[in-house]
Amino acid sequence: MSAVLTVLMLLVGAYLVAVLEGWVSTGRLRPAGPITSGLALLGRESVVPRQPDRIFFEVAPPLLLVAALLAAAVLPLSPGLVVVDLATGALFVNAALAYVMVALVMAGWGPDGTYAMVGGFRFLGQLIAYSMLIVMPITAVAMRAESLFTTEVVESQAVLPNAVYQPVGFVIFFLAAMGVAFLPPLDLPTAPGELAGGVMAEYTGWRLAVMRLARAVLVVTLAAAISVFYLGGWLGPVLPPWAWSALKTLLVAAAMLLAGRYVPRLRETHVLEWGWKIGIPLALFNIFYVGVLLLVVE
Amino acid sequence: MVQAVFTGFFGLAAIWFAVVVFRTSSMVRSALALLFSQAAIGGMFLAMQTEFLGVLQIMMMATEMAIMAIFMVMYMMDPGGLGGMDMTHQKRASQVAGALGALAALAVAFFAGWGPIAPEVRPAEQVYGLGIEIMERSMLIFETAGVTILTAMIAATAIAIKRRGKE
Amino acid sequence: MIFGARQARPSFLRRLVARAQSREFSAFVVPGPEAVRVLGVDLDATGLQISGTPRHASVLLLVGELPLGLKKAAAVAYAQMPRPRAILAVGTGDVSPLPEPNVSAGLRQEDVAAGVAELRQLFAQSAFSPEVADFDVDAIRTQTEYVCSMHPEVVRSERGSCPICGMELVPREAAGGDGHGAMDHAGHATHHEDMDNGAQEHHDEDHGSRGDIDHGEAEHSTAAHSDGEEGRDDGHEAIEQGGHGQESASHGEHGHAGPGSTDHASADEGDANPDGPGDSEHGAHSEHEGQGQHAGMEHGEHEDHEHAEHGGHGHMDHGDMDFMSMVEMTRDLPRSSDGLQMEWVEDAPFGPLFPGLPGGLTLMLTLDGDTVARAEAEGIEGRPTAEDLAGPAEELIGRLARLDPLSPVAYRVLALRALESAAGVEPEERTALARVGALERERAASHLGWLSIFGHLLGYSWLEDRAGRLQISLVRAANADEITRLRVEAGRLSRRVEKTPLLRRKLKGVGLLPEGAEFLGPVARAGGVVTDVRADEEVYRTLGFEPVVRDGNDALSRLKVRLAEIEQSLDLVGKAGEMTGPEPATNMEPLHEGPATVETPRGVAILRLRLGEGAVNIVELDEPSARHLGLVGGLAEQRELADALVGVASLDLSPWGIAR
Repeated sequence: MSAVLTVLMLLVGAYLVAVLEGWVSTGRLRPAGPITSGLALLGRESVVPRQPDRIFFEVAPPLLLVAALLAAAVLPLSPGLVVVDLATGALFVNAALAYVMVALVMAGWGPDGTYAMVGGFRFLGQLIAYSMLIVMPITAVAMRAESLFTTEVVESQAVLPNAVYQPVGFVIFFLAAMGVAFLPPLDLPTAPGELAGGVMAEYTGWRLAVMRLARAVLVVTLAAAISVFYLGGWLGPVLPPWAWSALKTLLVAAAMLLAGRYVPRLRETHVLEWGWKIGIPLALFNIFYVGVLLLVVE
Repeated sequence: MVQAVFTGFFGLAAIWFAVVVFRTSSMVRSALALLFSQAAIGGMFLAMQTEFLGVLQIMMMATEMAIMAIFMVMYMMDPGGLGGMDMTHQKRASQVAGALGALAALAVAFFAGWGPIAPEVRPAEQVYGLGIEIMERSMLIFETAGVTILTAMIAATAIAIKRRGKE
Repeated sequence: MIFGARQARPSFLRRLVARAQSREFSAFVVPGPEAVRVLGVDLDATGLQISGTPRHASVLLLVGELPLGLKKAAAVAYAQMPRPRAILAVGTGDVSPLPEPNVSAGLRQEDVAAGVAELRQLFAQSAFSPEVADFDVDAIRTQTEYVCSMHPEVVRSERGSCPICGMELVPREAAGGDGHGAMDHAGHATHHEDMDNGAQEHHDEDHGSRGDIDHGEAEHSTAAHSDGEEGRDDGHEAIEQGGHGQESASHGEHGHAGPGSTDHASADEGDANPDGPGDSEHGAHSEHEGQGQHAGMEHGEHEDHEHAEHGGHGHMDHGDMDFMSMVEMTRDLPRSSDGLQMEWVEDAPFGPLFPGLPGGLTLMLTLDGDTVARAEAEGIEGRPTAEDLAGPAEELIGRLARLDPLSPVAYRVLALRALESAAGVEPEERTALARVGALERERAASHLGWLSIFGHLLGYSWLEDRAGRLQISLVRAANADEITRLRVEAGRLSRRVEKTPLLRRKLKGVGLLPEGAEFLGPVARAGGVVTDVRADEEVYRTLGFEPVVRDGNDALSRLKVRLAEIEQSLDLVGKAGEMTGPEPATNMEPLHEGPATVETPRGVAILRLRLGEGAVNIVELDEPSARHLGLVGGLAEQRELADALVGVASLDLSPWGIAR
């Protein structure tokens, strides 16, 4: 039951994200946009490029979707509404997100195209720069909750959400999440102006539709993760718990989508440099800081 | 029963992907097959209800094998495997070694005294138990290993930088 | 029926899909969105989305008269577009080798909008059709040729061994672009577009698993490729190697001709033993024109990094092969700066229709991973040269103005000045002022257009939109009041850009030019060099003109110079008070050689001509983009791909100003 509800919420979320993305990129608000563009894509040929690594080419879009769905499976919408409440939930989110990278590397390698390949390897090359910044802030979050259960993480924020309790971790996680979802200005693997679509450049028709759906679901999942880890998930006055979850998730997703419009894409060297030299020390500091707070203050 | 089926399934998947590692001539495929083989072992852990280890295995292997894929593409010629390079060599020796290894593993499985089956432990307690194991009894070992690896990494980087400076 | 319809019997569901598709037009623009904006046409207002890759586009939008090179590139792009697809031509004449456009329209906003509306209707009605026409371009036909992995100069049309080292020759794909064997190889000529797969899917719908059978064939044929030697029957390798087999059937043949599988089998056999003459041209080049991003990562690997053991699979016994170390193998291969040349990609095309560069500009990059090892830029093939410009004097102005659609006014003024100087007349002050107005308006618009492309390349979508819209308003502006209003907006834009977070970090130090390089126009002024022929002109001095100079000599300073020049130019338009197109001077007496210079938006252009008997002989035409072409290599090489592209884009090369 909760699985069906979660998938439904994810789809609604992905739909809204697609509408938002269309609005951000074209300036027109078209509520029916995702439906027509989805239908249009399904009706077009799905071309297989010449000399593909066929298995990689075919597996990548579904794998991306599965990775995003798996990560969403452990994120609670309300106290009872979580597909599986794993004892290692917070860690599992990270494990599932690691396969986003695998999917993109496959999508980059599969079609035997230069643009796609450069895009895929760019994402792989940045791996440490963002994945460390996903897992280390989560560690600090789990420290406060003294549990890896995502539900307990939410409950630990009853007094004060983590965004306020550990703002450094929040900022780092937010930026790293944008990196995982390859949203502008961190859209290095797709880079419309530089790589003409990069890893997505060779996908057409229904395969492209799957890819775009997966990307939208991924954005929703990451926004939900931010809401669960840092914004107190379902906690909030007046409104029912699920509404709070949905509202926070959507607001985070909108912020993630809008941020990229007003800044240029980061240079790859800067992503690496800032990720390694600033992000990782800051994330370590965040763990230390949270530790001190936990031991000294509480 | 279901548990056994899943464990067996993931075990077979791990073996099959491991075979693919050598059967393919594409470096990238080989690396990713290894990734999925390791992830299948993670699946086995999950099926055996060792949740923390399973998730950790699945997570770490995705990262590690992907990094390996980078190096394979960078350093190996013909990463796409178009040349149809054969990844097997020293066949006789490896066959013998494989057979002996399998025998040894089977022997251990059948003849070792495994003791009584442990009662089911809740995942949360497992995490706790693992933490106590790492942080109390084996702490010295883990800390030593960690510091050693870190030293080695820094030393390796330092060597590389020095050499580039000379050139 | 529309050309480019997808083959299927129309049903209720398909009609629904077709309607959805007609509402979701995304257009791949040839030569590029900037060419549309120059005309003052706002594509956004017609509801067309612009796609950066033909793979994601459903409409091929052709704008203006296209030279042959662009038509060929457009044909490749069209072939890459998945069906259903359509062509909308705006102000274009003959488009061959492309098929007839589905809808043709004029170059004005309302014509384009009407054209789009008409196409939407057409699409909704006939996106799916039981009969479809086939489309084929020579440039994307391929055949298999055999090369020695150690001696790339050895290329044969049949398998065999290398006459130099005796190693087994390995197959690779080559384009039959020179047309020598298009007919002979029809059996295995493959379509770049690989529409066969799409066709398989139609058949999946109709007859079940035809597609799977075909795959089986493909794998089978691959086994034939490898002479059935050990260990090659693994399905993975078969698919991987089976590129030829899988796609060997062209769209038309595939599945529309009855059962078909036997045909395929024979086609595949043909693939294994091509009977054509040895291909003289390495196909990768022509094959990857247009958006061709199927550049041969693997091809490249294949050529360059063949493993000696590969030969062992053919005829030699495995055990006999000596192990060849990697050091030996790669000794003679091009060395990249990091010493690892395994991820070498030879001649990956970025252009002529690359979204981050002005349409028509081709960058051939040899990539070492994502570092550019070698870069070369080219202009548009078939663009008129200086010799083509000779002819009757009265038509010279028009001919020259058509040379570069990105800055027609500057070329017009150049022609006028040359004619006047040849005739020995001075323009009246009012005419001179009007010319300043026209020139400066064009300069501001051109810089804004550059800013918009640059914004797209940088992934800075706000800048892309804003600059593009401002450019369109400026082109359309009818009187001085509007210019004043736009001047305010341009000022806002430029301050906003200067304050953009991360932009400075992104551009600083990118595109540094080597010492002693020759550069002109804004590029030179961004390097601290005061060079501007406007400063020597009387009219400009009376208007109080001072060249804009910035230090830095990188992409950032070039951006700053152009931003400042946009404002300056709009000020000058305001001061000149007029901006009507320059009128031809009267009473042109043939005199002698007439030199003329104009500071175009990209730098100084020089034209020398000789008048005689009412006809003009062009002695020399010196264009800034052509002069800047040589800078590309130094800018891009040993740079990360994105930085290299930013560096090249910061030069603002006009592909139309480069003779080829």
